Amino acid sequence: MEDKIRHVICPYCGCLCDDILIEMTGGEISGVENACTLGARKFLDDAGNRLKGPIMRKGDEWVDISYEEAIDYAVKVLSEADRPLLYGWSGCMTETQAIGAHLAELIGGIVDSTTSVCHGPSILAIQEVGHPGCTLGQVKNRADTIIYWGSNTIEAHPRHLSRYTNYADAYFFHNAFRERKVIVVDVRKTVTAEIATEFVQIDQGGDYHVLSALRAIIRERGGVIPDMVAGVPKAQLIRVAEICRQAKFGALFFGVGITMTGGKYKNIRNAIEFISELNRYTKWTISPMRGHSNVYGSNEVFTWISGYPFAVDYSRGIAFYNPGETTAVDILARKEADAALIMSSDPGAHFPRVCSEHLARIPTILFDPYPSATTHLCTLQIPTAVNGIDAAGTAYRMDGIPIMTRRFMETVYPTDTKLMQEIYDRIRKVKEDA
Amino acid sequence: MMQVTLTMKPRAKPFLPIEAEMIVPMNFIGSRELFVWEGNKKRRLEDVFTVRKEGNVNSPENIVVILRGDTGRVKRVGEYMSSGIITIEGDIGMHCGNFMRGGNIVIHGNADGWLGREMRAGSILCHGNAGDYCGSGYRGEKRGMRGGKIEIMGDAGDYLGEYLTGGEIHVHGNAGMFAGAEMRGGTLKIDGDVRIPAANMSKGTCIIGGVAHEMLPTFEKTGEKNGMVVFHGDVANKGKGELMIRQVQENSALQ
Ligand code: SF4
Repeated sequence: MEDKIRHVICPYCGCLCDDILIEMTGGEISGVENACTLGARKFLDDAGNRLKGPIMRKGDEWVDISYEEAIDYAVKVLSEADRPLLYGWSGCMTETQAIGAHLAELIGGIVDSTTSVCHGPSILAIQEVGHPGCTLGQVKNRADTIIYWGSNTIEAHPRHLSRYTNYADAYFFHNAFRERKVIVVDVRKTVTAEIATEFVQIDQGGDYHVLSALRAIIRERGGVIPDMVAGVPKAQLIRVAEICRQAKFGALFFGVGITMTGGKYKNIRNAIEFISELNRYTKWTISPMRGHSNVYGSNEVFTWISGYPFAVDYSRGIAFYNPGETTAVDILARKEADAALIMSSDPGAHFPRVCSEHLARIPTILFDPYPSATTHLCTLQIPTAVNGIDAAGTAYRMDGIPIMTRRFMETVYPTDTKLMQEIYDRIRKVKEDA
Repeated sequence: MMQVTLTMKPRAKPFLPIEAEMIVPMNFIGSRELFVWEGNKKRRLEDVFTVRKEGNVNSPENIVVILRGDTGRVKRVGEYMSSGIITIEGDIGMHCGNFMRGGNIVIHGNADGWLGREMRAGSILCHGNAGDYCGSGYRGEKRGMRGGKIEIMGDAGDYLGEYLTGGEIHVHGNAGMFAGAEMRGGTLKIDGDVRIPAANMSKGTCIIGGVAHEMLPTFEKTGEKNGMVVFHGDVANKGKGELMIRQVQENSALQ
């Protein structure tokens, strides 16, 4: 039997495309329409790749255990730890993230999301100078000038251009494609750079210098700027500044190419101040290209619960936040954590080696439907239903719009929300009894 | 005079951080019970340190607190201290001398991040190296150190004196990247080399005795003084800061 399901949300990247069409044959996904390659693979590669049930490391072997035994183990490890780290949260729904934050408070742990290794610096910069942002709908309908800075959008967020910028129709333009200008700034000529009206190629680590120079030019202090800034000729900087000033509505999008190099949050702060400067002349906004589907949600949820967007340390019962001190990478590199819970993320593939080594040394509990690089480091892996396929909940798009994902398949797996709630309730009971 | 010696006891989990903002001279007057936090567990000071008190005084100026042993993970020592002396024989953890208002801290080893964060008065002397954010502010804070003096005999990490607003920082060795970023007052002196100094400064004086690597394009050269090139900036923000440099990196890839 073949079935078509419309308006499915793609749970892969921060675009959260909401127009996906899924074809089902015999209870399995057989076709995907409208999604990009990344999104389509997320759906198509699901069948046959999930773990059958929880697995526990015993010596050199993996042993199958029941969900009940897995929860017993998690409750014991987490309630006894002196500095438990609860990390990940970008691939699960806000409902689960909220339980995660409350669990951290209950056990005196640290809750941190993948933000700390992607757009954490953007948040630090926003805390310094604010965020002139807007939703993607505004950009789609109004923006005549787009900048992609340190973001290879065509490969990382493939449908961003067709849904919101270069290739999207716009309410306020006759021919949006011809009327929009796209500026790409990067250290190398990416695929995205090839479609740019103006490509600015800067030397590695030169983002801050170029942004400072642009600010000075907008401020009419271009006379101070030397002929070349970080590999970019001054003439081009003046041209770019002029394009930006002439825009009716501009939108700058930045990726991890600028948040994770050199000055990190200083780069973003400089970019925000460049945008503030342009707002003396015309309308400009700036937004981060958030990667994982619901990484933005983790910032929203942690903020409304603790007051801080990520890296929240509850070890003294109150929330303390200090990236560099309470971020997952730093806690692991300093060998502070004595237990870890990893929720739907893969630090084994992204963290520095010292951090992975420490995760392998301590009891590490991983929630992930599929085997990943972190499987090799963990003590226990618990598979859950996949959000956006056989589990549903709320996710936040990269511009902060909450979207309900859809569940369109029957499942035998428990959701991560249900498992986390059970762990929370059990630990709470342990604490109350003590 | 009164001398309090705190010697770290061996710990089952030596990597756990200890938060010990109660280690300030004033708290050792009398016999109040003091607590520190080891991870998420509250512990009596005596459970973590062997405490020896000699002499008895009733004002903090005459108190010397000595920290001995493996203290590299002990955080927030000397927070809000207003008088007296703290001597650390080895390394010290983050946030030593947070919001300090007076007195002296002497560190014989290295200091971790946020040394003298937002201090207002008093002095800190570190014989080893200092970590990142020495003399800076807390995240999102608009002012870092506002008064007093920090002297580092070794090197300093990144973001040295970020948001420096008053007082003086003197580093005898090198500093990392973004020393003096967002400076808005005070004096920052680095005898060695530094990367991307004084970014977005608006006021204050930054003096670099060594080589400035990756200089920003937004500083205006205004003359020479004592064999140093004098710049004003950061013009990206109409800044009126003064940046003096012995040597600007030649053929910089960034210029
Ligand atoms: S752009 Fe992102 S959300 Fe949209 S289909 Fe591709 S991976 Fe999915």
